[in-house]
Amino acid sequence: MRAEEVGLSRREYEKIVELMKRPPNDLELGLFGALWSEHCSYKSTKALLAGLPHSGADVVQGPGENAGVVRLSDDVEVAFKVESHNHPSSVEPVQGAATGVGGILRDIIAMGARPVALADMLRFGTDEASQRLRAGVVRGIGLYANAIGIPTVTGDIGFADTYRSNPLVNVLAVGIRAPNHRINASTACPQHYLVLLGQRTGRDGIHGASLLASRDFTHSSEDLRPTVQVGDPFLGKLLMEATLEAVLGGFVAALQDLGAAGLTSAVAELCHSSGVGADLWLDRVPLRQQGLSAYEIMLSETQERMLMAVGAEHLDAVIQICKRWDIPATVIGQATASDDLRLLQDGVEVGCVKPRWLVADAPRRSVARAWWDGLDQSGAHRRVDPPMFSSELLLKVLGHPDVRDRASVYSQYDSMIQTNTVYGPEHEVSVLRVKQQAAGLALAVCGSGRWAALDPYAGASAVVLLALARIAAQGGEPLGLTDGVNAGNPDNQASYEATAALVRGLADAARACQVPITGGNVSLHNETDSQAIWPTLMIGALGRHPHPLRPVGEALPEAGAQLFLINPAPPDWGGSVAAELVSELCTYPHPSLQKAHHVLTTMQHWARREHPGSVRTIGVGGLAATLVRFLAVSRPELGIDIQIAEPGADKTGRFYNEAPLQWVVVVASDQVLALQEYWDRAHIAIVPLGVVTDDATLTVDKRYRWTRSDLLGVWRRS
Amino acid sequence: MKIGVVTFPGSNCDADTLEALSVIGVPVRHLFHEERDLDDLDAVILPGGFSYGDYLRSGALAAKAPVMRSLWVAVQTRQLPVLGICNGFQILTEAGLLPGSLRANAHGEFRCAWQTVRVTAASALFPGLSAGELLRLPIAHGEGAYYVASGELGQLFGDHEAWLQYVDDQGMLSVWANPNGSVANIAGVMRGSVAALMPHPERAMMAELGSTDGRRLLQAWVDGVRGRTFHAS
Repeated sequence: MRAEEVGLSRREYEKIVELMKRPPNDLELGLFGALWSEHCSYKSTKALLAGLPHSGADVVQGPGENAGVVRLSDDVEVAFKVESHNHPSSVEPVQGAATGVGGILRDIIAMGARPVALADMLRFGTDEASQRLRAGVVRGIGLYANAIGIPTVTGDIGFADTYRSNPLVNVLAVGIRAPNHRINASTACPQHYLVLLGQRTGRDGIHGASLLASRDFTHSSEDLRPTVQVGDPFLGKLLMEATLEAVLGGFVAALQDLGAAGLTSAVAELCHSSGVGADLWLDRVPLRQQGLSAYEIMLSETQERMLMAVGAEHLDAVIQICKRWDIPATVIGQATASDDLRLLQDGVEVGCVKPRWLVADAPRRSVARAWWDGLDQSGAHRRVDPPMFSSELLLKVLGHPDVRDRASVYSQYDSMIQTNTVYGPEHEVSVLRVKQQAAGLALAVCGSGRWAALDPYAGASAVVLLALARIAAQGGEPLGLTDGVNAGNPDNQASYEATAALVRGLADAARACQVPITGGNVSLHNETDSQAIWPTLMIGALGRHPHPLRPVGEALPEAGAQLFLINPAPPDWGGSVAAELVSELCTYPHPSLQKAHHVLTTMQHWARREHPGSVRTIGVGGLAATLVRFLAVSRPELGIDIQIAEPGADKTGRFYNEAPLQWVVVVASDQVLALQEYWDRAHIAIVPLGVVTDDATLTVDKRYRWTRSDLLGVWRRS
Repeated sequence: MKIGVVTFPGSNCDADTLEALSVIGVPVRHLFHEERDLDDLDAVILPGGFSYGDYLRSGALAAKAPVMRSLWVAVQTRQLPVLGICNGFQILTEAGLLPGSLRANAHGEFRCAWQTVRVTAASALFPGLSAGELLRLPIAHGEGAYYVASGELGQLFGDHEAWLQYVDDQGMLSVWANPNGSVANIAGVMRGSVAALMPHPERAMMAELGSTDGRRLLQAWVDGVRGRTFHAS
């Protein structure tokens, strides 16, 4: 077998020979091919990701494990992470998306946490075929999530031509655990048995990591359909229950899920992070079909499997639990005191490598400091002045697929199971109670889309600010961020620089806001026939909600209440939906990060006081869309009457501006003085916008009027 | 008094149902699908989920589980009250303990939403729920379209076996208020001591999560069980 057949370069092959001091056999080469793939090794981005801030007072587990973990309270820790399943979903939307959900759930379970919530961040093209793909992806997510019984509580969806051949499917999962049930992959000891749980191994998904996820798409990618795995949420549910029961019983020494690169990755990661070697008895791995080679067994990506390290004294207990849940559990090897991973078949050694070579020694692209420091100036700057204000544009913006109501998507997901969902997917931010706890969770997800199309640095930092602004609007204290980086081919210099600028924007915004990034995912090669997607950052922000059963409102209270715009940005409509509709793609405004932390904490402290009124965060669609969303969830007789101070074209710029860290706040008239004093004291601008009326109409400057029913008719049309 | 909640492989609303009963303050026993002894139980709930992965048809495999054999006998011999919720409803029709069947939603999609339902007929199984009463409850299912052969529909209503119907927020029966294509907007059916519904009362236990109407419904059913237990002793 040649290096190219497993996706490795000549230089990489030479490095392998240098490490091994001999040429690898075919099996060993296959192991390297999988774990040195972009998907598993992060060889192009590891040095970029080293620039992200990871530490914080509430961080229990930073990047490097299956998921990041933060502290909610003395009794509860929260594991959360985003993962991409872009390539499989493109080839086979239903199964690709379903296995994406299953995969991220097993990452959470591998931290000993019980999953409590899912969110998904999706990007699709605008043509007919993309809409069929979207239908398949949404169906696949629901298929797995609804059946395994984890609520999908929030999400983000966007559409642009750039995603036509490379749709993005990023899934985020959240789980909770008690501190005394902490577990991960780094605590295996010599003599521990390696127990493989779950689905019998088949030929599915071989080369998924090395070929499907780590190469560009071409028109022949259809041939890779057999490399997409098939998910089984029923087995996933039983595997989850059996695994968590074994962890709760204290029977498991170390835990690792099987995802990309299957058994190879799971064993190598577990051994490397625990500092042990292992003997694997491949003839004992239960197979779904006879005749699988050692190579196929090691590289199969069969879903619904977990690997446990178990001491001899607990082996019976684990086997009994698995029997009760009807889950196959088999001892397939043993940890050793050496630093060798030996693969044995019927007693004969068929391969031997050091876990360190596979996990840590892949050649990685380095980053020059000066180049990294200059990335905040990236992006072509294209400015387009907005037109004079008009009535028609609002209806177009509301009907844009990125702005309109998402009920047709999220109503296909069970959002209420487990009975913790206080604010579900119809809200801007999800609020979950945690049973027996005063504090709850606030979860906000968003992605960059056109914001990062021309200036990835600006777009990425704005997405971080938007997610954190939504947490702050609930009075939530940010605990951590998880990032999904999606970009083109790293060997193409322009794509690589765009990726780097995206990561730099993420790093600077997170650092400015003093919020750690506890884990994430990078998906490169989202490129077809040399056309890369817009570099796209998906962000999940997790916060500690001070009073989850009494979330801050998102509806208009009553006629006479007053609306204010907090922290208005300059009226630049760059990168907005409105600008795209009227003219062309133009550059998103460069966000200012200096005051971000102060602005966020000021909002957080204001919203923590209970019942301050209603708050919405301005995002895609700008102030215009925010006002309509207020109307959508309010009593049908209520309307809004606002004045926009800016004259001429700036009025349009103000109405559709999508810059982050802006909120619309609605308070009763007797609260107005206190509100203004509060923000004045913090030296943050607050601008009166207008009043809530009882005429079921949106009025701007007494001159432009739309009835509530006309607006919502366009917004809800699917 | 003690109520059993059955976990089939793939049940996923069992924990929510157990918790709802504990909120009401009823002693419960959590049963696994392989158990056969129901003698200590005064009633049983089959919770929602995807039992056995819904392979074959929803509820079809669960209907053959050992616990269902015992349940069948207890219903026939001592009129054991049984409540099926969502997948539990599907299991009860597959087991022949309730008439009709549940088919894929007419629009072909899973649907999760808040839904208003109307109590069609008062019954001894739910003392305290009166005919015409409206309840706001979550639905979450892909196969909830209730079906009976047209000849049996009249009997279902005549015998007050159709006890719950999907309505709009004003309580009006209409095709627009039907979320899944059920015949005659039927959301719940009962026969003898066995009752079932597609909506999830166990998710509507507190105002902060959207509604307390599920608590009223479950409380009424528990009161019915308690009344029976009292009369029998």
